[in-house]
Amino acid sequence: MARITKSKAAPTRIKKREGMAAPDKAMLMFTVVNRSKADFYADIIQGFEVNMQLILHAQGTAGTEVLSLLGLNDSDRAVIISVIRRDRADEAMSTLEEKFRTVKGGKGIAYTVPMTSTIGVAIYQFLCNKTPGGIG
Amino acid sequence: MSATKFEVIFCIVNSGFSDEVMDAARRFGAKGGTVIRARGTANPEAESLFGIAIQPEKEIVMILVNKKIKNDILHSLYSAVGLNTPGQGIAFSMPVESVVGLTVTDEIKAEGTADSEN
Repeated sequence: MARITKSKAAPTRIKKREGMAAPDKAMLMFTVVNRSKADFYADIIQGFEVNMQLILHAQGTAGTEVLSLLGLNDSDRAVIISVIRRDRADEAMSTLEEKFRTVKGGKGIAYTVPMTSTIGVAIYQFLCNKTPGGIG
Repeated sequence: MSATKFEVIFCIVNSGFSDEVMDAARRFGAKGGTVIRARGTANPEAESLFGIAIQPEKEIVMILVNKKIKNDILHSLYSAVGLNTPGQGIAFSMPVESVVGLTVTDEIKAEGTADSEN
């Protein structure tokens, strides 16, 4: 009869070498807001060490007849795509959440998508705002 | 900031088919989306090889959905605006790590939920 036993061998430990930390991960942050507020939000996001942003013109898909009844027939949107370092993303998202709640006409949504790879050291340094000596 | 129970679906279709995309997505609980106009850049050699003419004007529809309904929506998009339809669409999803800006009702409503700003 087969028997399942637990291995009692101690887990092997990998020693971390000094100064060999993995580079920080980057994320793509998508922010969808009214077009008139695009620059306002792009400036806020830039404050979180974001060096590259794209602003795309877009349209919301809600039925215009419903919006017209509410006096909101403006479906023009902007999608801001930002490359942000993972360790700054939470802070940026919290700030955006607060602005979405408090800024008049500034309602929107933001979400982050992980980036898995990039090519080129200089590109990485630029996207993640890392100084040349700063990569692990 | 809500936990990551969402995914974002990107559906790239020929220009003018974004309404069909949203209709197909709404059938399974998506609430709203955002349409970006774009231009396709298909390989001309591949076009002639496969005998497909690629319409360069495209629309990218971004829909934030609950993970639970993601597969249903992707299948629905495949049937309604897939490559074998006039919409000639492709759809894919990406994981979302965190979301802000959704209202509480958006998150509670049914199984699926989407861009509340629309």
